Amino acid sequence: MPRYPIRLLISLSALACLFSCNTYRNLQKIQAPDNCVQKFKPLFEKVMYKTSADVKGNHISGVLIIKAMEDSSTRIVFTNEMGFPYFDFGFLTNNGFKVYQITPKLNNKYVIRTLKKDFELILFRNRDSIRYFALTDGPRIYHAYPQASGINYYITDSCCRQLLIMQRASDKKPVVEARFVGNISENAPDSIIIRHLNFNFTISLKKISGFAAQ
Amino acid sequence: MGLSLQGLGVLAQYPGYKLWNQTDVFKKSFAQASDATSSIQADFLQEKSLTMLSEKINSTGRFMYRKKDQVRLEYLQPYPYLVILNAGKLYLKDGQKENKISAGSNPIFKQINRIMIDCVSGTMLDNPDFESRIFENEGTWLIEFKPRAKNLKDLYKNINLVLDKKDFTASSISMYEVSGDKTIIRFQNKQLNAQIPDSAFNIP
Repeated sequence: MPRYPIRLLISLSALACLFSCNTYRNLQKIQAPDNCVQKFKPLFEKVMYKTSADVKGNHISGVLIIKAMEDSSTRIVFTNEMGFPYFDFGFLTNNGFKVYQITPKLNNKYVIRTLKKDFELILFRNRDSIRYFALTDGPRIYHAYPQASGINYYITDSCCRQLLIMQRASDKKPVVEARFVGNISENAPDSIIIRHLNFNFTISLKKISGFAAQ
Repeated sequence: MGLSLQGLGVLAQYPGYKLWNQTDVFKKSFAQASDATSSIQADFLQEKSLTMLSEKINSTGRFMYRKKDQVRLEYLQPYPYLVILNAGKLYLKDGQKENKISAGSNPIFKQINRIMIDCVSGTMLDNPDFESRIFENEGTWLIEFKPRAKNLKDLYKNINLVLDKKDFTASSISMYEVSGDKTIIRFQNKQLNAQIPDSAFNIP
């Protein structure tokens, strides 16, 4: 194939992307109260999930505990089935974050930052009502909370009766999608799925019943 | 003075236990008992204590060991999970997901599983990754292993093995983490030298 048509194809693709790659471009800005999202926030008082993470073909599994602490922080601890610790994270007040423990294999700045942001999305953290704005495509409202980089979206139906999906997005497109699946019991969803869209990484959590009663 | 203080520390650490200094005598008896044991089957209760969270994760399952280096840990609660160690290979099954861990791919995880084999086969005292002390009370031996290897030292303060005096089989393995958390595996309904089919240790 001659070089000229290839250049043309690349230019056309770039042009097409300019108009279509921005997922949020065609949404309308609307006035919406920022208290809609709050009612979907799980309390996660004390919950244990059977958890698996698949990263680029590698599979790890274990038990993940989310617990609201007396000092208003939230701890997330993940260990394997034999009790070997993967990580212990603290989500502190005033958007603070602390790594209490992490296995050397996961102790990498990028891994920690990715996990921190993923859990912040499902914990409904960093929701600054001053910077909040809302967008709509008609049937859905995108409740947008700008972060230090990117935006967290909590997408509900237009009447704010149902939380459909959560997204962590760059300026133009979603990079992570998270869903609560099944019922909310013991103040926490039965299942949670966190899926990265820009690389092969999925975290699946399934509640182990009865732990909260212990 | 130094000795008596050390003795007091030991008593405080392991109430009811006395330090046993005749390591060679112990090793010989342990080796004799191990020679007479070709397989062990038991139920196990595992308790992971998360100190800072004041929480415990309890698991139960079935344990099988066959000489020389085959272990099967079949977790039944809180959900099914299977671990098989066979000739240095580690196989994990979580639902439909299978994971085979080859040598070197996760050295620390492999070391932890090696500890389990060493504990039941009587070879732990020869493991250069640990320094050990032996204690006794009326019915049991308590062997305290302190890690020497840096990767283990970063994770575990010590690993304690409690053995029944009558047959030198493990009653419990306790892993004390640097963080203050600990995991205790207790073995019950032990059955020695019963036939275990090869299929129990097959890695597909």
